[in-house]
Amino acid sequence: MLTAFAIWLRATPLSLAIASHDWVIPAVQSVHIVMIAALIGSILVINLRLLNLIEKGQAITTLMDHYLPVVAISILVLALTGAVLIIGEPTRALFRITFWIKMALVLAAAILTWGLSRFSRTPAALGGDASTAMALKGGAVLALLLWTAIIFAGRWIGYTEGWPGAPQ
Amino acid sequence: MDLNDLAERLKATPLSQAISGSDTLFPLLECVHVLAVVTVVGAIAIVDLRLLGLRARGRHIQELLHQFVPVTLAAFVVGFMAGALMFIAKPDTYLANGFFLAKMLLLALAGANAIAFHLIFNRALARVGPGVAAPLPARLSGLFSLTAWIAIIACGRWIGFTT
Repeated sequence: MLTAFAIWLRATPLSLAIASHDWVIPAVQSVHIVMIAALIGSILVINLRLLNLIEKGQAITTLMDHYLPVVAISILVLALTGAVLIIGEPTRALFRITFWIKMALVLAAAILTWGLSRFSRTPAALGGDASTAMALKGGAVLALLLWTAIIFAGRWIGYTEGWPGAPQ
Repeated sequence: MDLNDLAERLKATPLSQAISGSDTLFPLLECVHVLAVVTVVGAIAIVDLRLLGLRARGRHIQELLHQFVPVTLAAFVVGFMAGALMFIAKPDTYLANGFFLAKMLLLALAGANAIAFHLIFNRALARVGPGVAAPLPARLSGLFSLTAWIAIIACGRWIGFTT
């Protein structure tokens, strides 16, 4: 079914238009990486603050209010630019296991980030409860590891072979 | 000794052959490089957008510099080292690539801009407190920085599409 979808997608005018202009894929990839920079900058502030390594003079919830919208918008633009890349080369990423690992990791990291935001606003977290603070720190370490793994997986899509039976 | 001689000499080193002879070392270096680059640009953007008055207007600019310059420098060192190892693996390919040369030129300009920014505006920035707009030359420096770094990302990405 995925194969049929990819082959249909490859014949659409949009896909053909992208494929016929060599500059589109690198240009969209460049926008994709600039948005990853916006995302990672925001993710770093939030999680390094949870770990008490940066911005100690700022309340965690203030920083979250400031940077979480940037995270959300970045993920949206990343999904859009990622979709353009897939439309341009439908038989590439969709048939490589690293792409699906990346998608699973993005889902996990997004849910974790949302959870950390909710958890940091609970009365226990706002009241400075020690075990809650520890849990938030553990979550922050996990979040940083997940986003790092996402970047590695993203780069590795280009080095992965399509799985058996993938369309050429 | 010209650059091509240097490239040949680098290619003959065991380090160069170890990286180019491995299936995984070069991609791993690329991963580290990308992670470092997005960290550098993400941290720099926080400062530049404050200079431009687009984000974090309520913050003192020096406080932001104090928080984010160390992150930027640490990530830059990591990215530079990963990039240097990638260069050592195939120096002739990079030296013949226009986008690589453009990226190096932009890096030098961004670096010179950052150094000039700190030397020239250090005192003036003490007055750029919460809600205070940065002086126009400092804003222009921030605009140049942000533009240069976006161009550096684009050049870096385009290196891989040219041979």
